[in-house]
Order: sequence, then structure tokens, then C-alpha cells
Amino acid sequence: MSGQRVAAITRRLLQQFRHDRRTLGLLFGAPLIILGLLGYLLRGGGAVPMMGVVNLDDGPLGGAIASQLEQLKTVSASTMSQASAEKQLRSGDLAGYVLLPSDFSARAQQSRVISPGIHLEGSQPGLSQTIVQAVSEAFAALAGQAGGVRFAPQVSFVYGGPSFDTLDYFGAAFIGLVVFFLVFVITIVAFLRERGQGTLERLMASPLRRGEIVLGYMLGFTVLALVQAVEVLAFCLLVLHVHNAGNVGLIFVLEALMAIAAVNLGIFLSMFARTEFQAVQFIPLVIVPQVLLSGIIFPISTEPGPLTVLSRVLPLTYAVEGMRNIMIKGANLGWSSLQLDFGVVLGFCVLVIIAGILTLRRRIA
Amino acid sequence: MAGETYAVEAEAVVKRFGSLRALDGVALRIRRGEVYGLLGPNGAGKTTLIRALVGLVVPEGGTVSVLGRRMPNLDVLAQVGYMTQQAALYSDLSAEENVRFFAAINGVHDGVREALELVDLWDRRESLISSLSGGMRTRCSLACALVHKPDLLLLDEPTVGVDPLLRVQLWDRFQRMARDGTSILVSSHVMDEAERCDRLGLIRFGRMLAEGTVPELKGKAGVDRLEDAFVKLSEAATS
Repeated sequence: MSGQRVAAITRRLLQQFRHDRRTLGLLFGAPLIILGLLGYLLRGGGAVPMMGVVNLDDGPLGGAIASQLEQLKTVSASTMSQASAEKQLRSGDLAGYVLLPSDFSARAQQSRVISPGIHLEGSQPGLSQTIVQAVSEAFAALAGQAGGVRFAPQVSFVYGGPSFDTLDYFGAAFIGLVVFFLVFVITIVAFLRERGQGTLERLMASPLRRGEIVLGYMLGFTVLALVQAVEVLAFCLLVLHVHNAGNVGLIFVLEALMAIAAVNLGIFLSMFARTEFQAVQFIPLVIVPQVLLSGIIFPISTEPGPLTVLSRVLPLTYAVEGMRNIMIKGANLGWSSLQLDFGVVLGFCVLVIIAGILTLRRRIA
Repeated sequence: MAGETYAVEAEAVVKRFGSLRALDGVALRIRRGEVYGLLGPNGAGKTTLIRALVGLVVPEGGTVSVLGRRMPNLDVLAQVGYMTQQAALYSDLSAEENVRFFAAINGVHDGVREALELVDLWDRRESLISSLSGGMRTRCSLACALVHKPDLLLLDEPTVGVDPLLRVQLWDRFQRMARDGTSILVSSHVMDEAERCDRLGLIRFGRMLAEGTVPELKGKAGVDRLEDAFVKLSEAATS
């Protein structure tokens, strides 16, 4: 072991980084961006889930519960009619509502059991849990006064169901994400290799048109991506039994669109990297913020205000939303929300295809 | 028609990279069916000039015509074979797959065997490029450049790293192809290769210092060796 030889390697490494400012910037910039984003997401004081309170109780208990709920900080509760609550639940504006029937006080007196109806939207397990917890807390606060009363809510779901779990929620989003991510990485590296080994130069000195190169790449990788998409989908549905209420064909089409977008995003971004090393750096810069902000992990409705604007600009948001609309809510193309999701993903595909062709440096034919 | 006489006509081509004048008003004329040697030291502008011929470099000034067509022109490139300095091949494809691919992008589907036999690689056609030696890769790269039987072959230092025996074979082939009507541009900084060219261009600092046959250049400089001629002509042009 020679200290000098070891030092030579260490010194050489640091010298290389000095010539690669971009990697240095990433090394010291990316953690701050990612952690800062995460911190803002979690502590930025985003909106809490919206819930409705439908109080039909003839007795005093319903009113007490309602005001108790409205004081809670974990949810934003407001009293409304059942018709309005049901409508807002269906549209997704409410994460859930609690129904206090007309004989609520009376039954609580007689049977010592409190059983309000909790109606949940259900597509986001985290929000559902918050609502149930809030209702339970409101009762707990009153239970001291009533004494020895048991809490047995009757929970119903618009989407999903009691067995709907976190995997069902994440699974829908990840089916799309896995394909998008892997195809992106493979394309960007393949395209950089094409440049690095000099074959792109040869292609450029041939009668090939830019559009032909991009289209050829797109078809090649899309074939691979589609096989992968089928595999991922089959594994999720048949082995993991991820909840699916929608049309498998529709899921596949959305996956395919994401794959096409990923291929072209890869081609486009490869123009901004000199080496495969730099290409890999696009992962924390392009993928991580999208994963944090696209609603995969944190529901967009609960993000701090400024971030929701950003989320609404990211195409992955719509892809994830589309996947969940299909798989969790059983949406079809007649739904306007799914039309929006498909429209945005499709639009993004077209945009990156054009961007890829335009940035593929070449003389004007 | 001028386009019938010359395979390549470049006039007053200028290209700068930042403050560096890679091409400083260079002119080049290659006649049909000749082997033209582009000679010059490293960094003289040889590669930039060749890249300008195929449209990879867009000149800031001057004109470039290839096979009678003003560049840039994509369609004429189907009649041009371009061999880059580095053996630009797909290392995870076999030799035959590489040649077949470059044939296909030029709209040709046969001649693969012929091209591989020409460079003595038919027996190794199934080998992946990554398993071939440097000299074999160079030969495969050449096969890729000529598989579509181009009218103009641009070879950027094709014999670098090639052993002497193979070098002689390659030059025999270049000359035979020229006799069959192919115009060939070979760049080199090796003087003894230059003796085998029909005409030579001496390039330095992005300018054409002198042009002519080997005897003409020697006569112009008044020396017997081409190397000396190059040094003398180079000094005369820069002083």
C-alpha cells in the first residue's frame, strides 16, 4: 500500500470534478432542492382534507359533534345538506362527510352506542384515515360528558372499499411511473452512447432525416416499453392483486403514452448532457421533483398553495391522476377528468417529440 | 457542366470555433475518379473540412458542392461514404449487422457480403465489434462507409493504427475503386501514403498551401522528398 499512489487517485478524482462544474453543482445543489421541496411539502401548511357535516339530528348531540368537528385543525369541516355533501363527494371536492341521522341523540341515549355514518370518497387512503380519525376525536371529546358510550361508525366508500389499502393507492400510480422512469433512463443512455461512439455523426452524414432518427428510436424503445408495460400490469393485477375497477386496455394505452413521452424526453434531454454520467444526473433533477409533486405520495389537494400550481404544470401529475381515475374510480373516456388526463399526457408526448427533433443538432435539410 | 468534372468543389470555406479559425478560406477540388490526398499536421483543419463536405459543419463563409449539388443536401449523401477518424460502430452488434445497418440507412440492401469480403472480414462477420481488434474495427468501419457503393468516399485518416501489410492492401483497394470511377478523399499526416495519391492538397492553419501531383509539388519546392516539400511550402506560405 503506497500512500502516494492512493493520493494520486484521490487527487485525480477531485481534479475531474473541478472540470465538471455541472456535477459539482448537482452534488451540492440537488440535496438542498430535494430536501427543501420535501420540507415545504410537509411543513408548508398545506390545505387539510375537506369534509362535510350533515346534521339531521333532532336532539342536541348532533350539533355538539358538528361544532366539535369544525374546531378541529386536522380537517376543514363545514355543515351542509346531504344532497350537497353527496354531490361534492362524487366530484372529489370533499374527502368525506359524516351523517348524523335524525334519531342520533335518541339512539345514543338508549343503546349507549354512537354510530354516525361516515361516507368517504375513498380513493386516497391517507385522507380517508384522517377523516375517520377526526370524527372519532370529536366523539372522544364528547364521550367524557356522555359517559360509557361506544363509538361504532358505519363507514361507506364511493371508490375502493374497506380492503383498499396503500398498495392499491400507490400501485395505480407506480404502474405508470415504473415504465416512465426506466424507459427514460434507457433512452437517454442509449442516445448518449450513440453520440459518444461516433455513430450519431455517421447517421448525420447519411440521408437520414432528423424525424426519421427520432421516430426510429421511438418505435424501437416503445416496443420494449410496451412489453414491459404488459409485464408490469400483469404482475400488479395478477400477482399483487392491486385494486382495479377500470378497463385494462385503457390502463395500457395510458402506459404506452407515458412510454412514448419518456423516450422522447430522453432523446431531448440527452442533448444537454455530454456524458452518460451527466445523463444520470437528470434523474434527481427531473424525476425526483416530479415524484414528490405529482401526487403519487402526497395528495395535491393537501399541498401548500404555490406547490399545487407547480404540480398542475407537471405532466406526470396528469398521468398519475389518470391511472388512479381508471384503476380506483373505474373511469372511462366519457369522464371529463380522464379526458383532461389523457389530453395533457398526449399533448406532452407531441411536445417532447417536436423538442427532440428540433434539438437533434443537424444542418437544415 | 462543372459538376461533371469535379466530385467536390469547395470555395473560400470559413469556419471558426470561438477565436480559432479552423477553416480560413480553404478551397478544394476533387476530380471524378481520382484519389485525392489531404495532407496536413494535426489540427490543420482536415477533419473540419471533411465534416463541412458532408454538412456536419455549416461554414460561415464560402460554398461547398458535392457531386454537383450545393451542400447542405441530404439526398446527395446517399452517394457519399464517410469514414470517421474513430471507428464509429455499434460495439454490441456483429460486424455484419453493422454493415447491414449502414447499408439500410442509405437505402441499400445488398452488397454486404461484398463489402465485408473487400476488407477481409467475411469470416469474422458474426463477431461482435467489441471482440474485434483495432485494425479489424477500422476495416469494418471502412466496409460500412463503402457498402452502398458511393460515388464519393471520404476517409478521415483511415490507416491510423493499421499495420503496414493491411495498409498496402487498403491502398490497393482505394486505387482499384478509383479506377472504377469512385472519387476518394483520404486525409493523412503520413507522407509515404501520399505518394500513392493522384493529387495532393497540403493544408495548414485552415488554408490550402499547395495543390498538385507528387512530382509537381516536389518540383515547386525544388526538393526530392515530399516531407521536405511540405516543410518548404509550408514555410513559404506562412512567411
